Amino acid sequence: MSDSISSVWRNALIRYGLVLLIAGFFCFFSLYTDSFLQTGNLMNIVEGSAILLILALAMTLIVTMGGIDLSVGIALDFGAAFAIVAMKQYDVVWYLAVLIAIGGGALIGLLNAFLVVNLSVSPFMATLGTFFIGSSVQRIFTNGGGPISFRRVDQSYRDLAVGDVFGIPTEVVIATVVLIVYFVVLERSILGKRMHAIGLQKSAALVAGIKVRHYLFAGFVFASATCAIGGVIGSANLRMFTPLAGYSYLLDAIAAVFIGAAIHPLGRPNVPGTLMGVLFLGMVANGLNLMGLDFNTKDALSGVILVVTLALTVVQKRLR
Amino acid sequence: MNSNPMPYRKASSVTWVSMLARLMALAPSIIFLALLVYLAIAAPNLLELSTLNLILKQSIPTVIVCLGLATVVMAGGDDVVSGGIDLSIPATAVLCAAIIADQLVNHASALPWALALGMSAAVVMGLLNAVLVVLIGMTPLLATLASSVAAIGISKVVTSSRRINVDDSFIIFLRDAQIAGVSVAVMLTAILALIFYVAIHRTRWGMHLQAAGGSRDAAETSGIPSRRLLGQAFFLAALAGGLASVFVLARGSGSTPGSEENLLLEMVLATFMGAAFSPRRVVTLWGAVLGAVLVSLLSVGFKSVGVDVFWTGCIKGALILLVVASAAYSNKLAN
Repeated sequence: MSDSISSVWRNALIRYGLVLLIAGFFCFFSLYTDSFLQTGNLMNIVEGSAILLILALAMTLIVTMGGIDLSVGIALDFGAAFAIVAMKQYDVVWYLAVLIAIGGGALIGLLNAFLVVNLSVSPFMATLGTFFIGSSVQRIFTNGGGPISFRRVDQSYRDLAVGDVFGIPTEVVIATVVLIVYFVVLERSILGKRMHAIGLQKSAALVAGIKVRHYLFAGFVFASATCAIGGVIGSANLRMFTPLAGYSYLLDAIAAVFIGAAIHPLGRPNVPGTLMGVLFLGMVANGLNLMGLDFNTKDALSGVILVVTLALTVVQKRLR
Repeated sequence: MNSNPMPYRKASSVTWVSMLARLMALAPSIIFLALLVYLAIAAPNLLELSTLNLILKQSIPTVIVCLGLATVVMAGGDDVVSGGIDLSIPATAVLCAAIIADQLVNHASALPWALALGMSAAVVMGLLNAVLVVLIGMTPLLATLASSVAAIGISKVVTSSRRINVDDSFIIFLRDAQIAGVSVAVMLTAILALIFYVAIHRTRWGMHLQAAGGSRDAAETSGIPSRRLLGQAFFLAALAGGLASVFVLARGSGSTPGSEENLLLEMVLATFMGAAFSPRRVVTLWGAVLGAVLVSLLSVGFKSVGVDVFWTGCIKGALILLVVASAAYSNKLAN
């Protein structure tokens, strides 16, 4: 009798351990700080997570196909740079600038795809190389990393970050649209099924007649183009291009995907799980901020929390 | 020559492909040689003894972290995601350097105490990586990426993201001391490299470690505890990071926040470039050391030719891609 009860508890812990951890952090921040639980602050968390969500979704796509993309931050930077430079120096209309930004991000994806698909470099090494080259190109272009600001940016462009649609912040709307697109593609379409097949066993997918190379190529380009949207939001918010700003999202994006995979019954990367991972990371960052810690301590603590959470996700996956 | 008779056309096409495969495999070495020749012509003083000494001295932190990474790769196999990779060694070095500098300057601690504290941080990092990868079963890439973020975060707390100048006599000694025109630090590093060499190539433990990396299944079947060996390799790598920290301090006359990024770039470049020099195209200790010295030679060379420092990063990134792409491509052709 007591045996079965404890095994029920054990199973519940294994199944929902991470959910419990997230709930635990939520309760802790709610009790410890006064302002955490207010509606305005919860909206802050959602708003602050928009860019990370976009990058994490791109990462989900690549990890689903069995790869990893260390250059998501670079694609974001290129998106921001292309948009700001297009508008500042070439007087491009804002909506064209957004398209140019997406094209700029896609360039990074093209390089990755060429290296991975045509030269059969492993995704890790390929995107690491792209990361170094991309960082360096930004330093060269900005003479060492100074931001390019454009204060008189078109208000419509600015509104992509600070405006709202029927009361909902535009960046949240954009991120939601990206979320829905990724959800439909990865979780509800034959394309997504094939991508999962490639990630699970490439050779089997090949034998089954899936055009693995085409999918990988398109996947890398599509993911980087998505990241550029994050760059557009970021640059619209600050009205400037900040070189190397994307780097800070890299590990969080990877972590969100793996946290999401831990929640999935089969331990696969998945879109709803990634959303949960992103909101968890956003919540921790927000909560640590409200606790009034200084910048460096906050950085260190969130790093430690990240290690512990990732370790827990893996333990949970293995116990299952 | 071949006893197996083959149709003429097929034989020739096979030879052609294998020739191309061999050429592709040599491409990184050829390009490196070309770069070296160019630099030697453009900056003749590059090959003077004093410059060579400087280059060796500059390369020390990279050489030591490369020894660590090479050990992990040899113990875990060369699959960059699931095999052995440790991206946290530069972060460990920077964390230890931060702790040592902080102790020496802000707390006026004695040198042995400061070094002991720094090395204990390295021990903690090594245990953390070993636990995450071996006990918990995390992907090494993810585990070491995460632990490096934590280490960098903590080093920022220690230094408040500020530079700390160190003028301790031991650190200055490591920076400046020479015996017969050769830097003492270079000699110490050579001794360290020899210790690694003996441990990994001349002991039973080292043979087991290499066997574990060569094929985990085969090693386990023959009774070699491959998981424990991988854990020990991660531990050793973190210790290498700790040792490198002293030379990071000596090279920069103090601890500078953000120096891990370049160290990471050089470490990955040197270690995997080293594989291009080995006959079997695998990561080796000497390959990694040679790679680290060459990378440093290129850095100093480009600087003395007057290449913008931002371009150097770009060139190094392109070289990484070139090396791994040519290895992957020649493999593909050979198969």
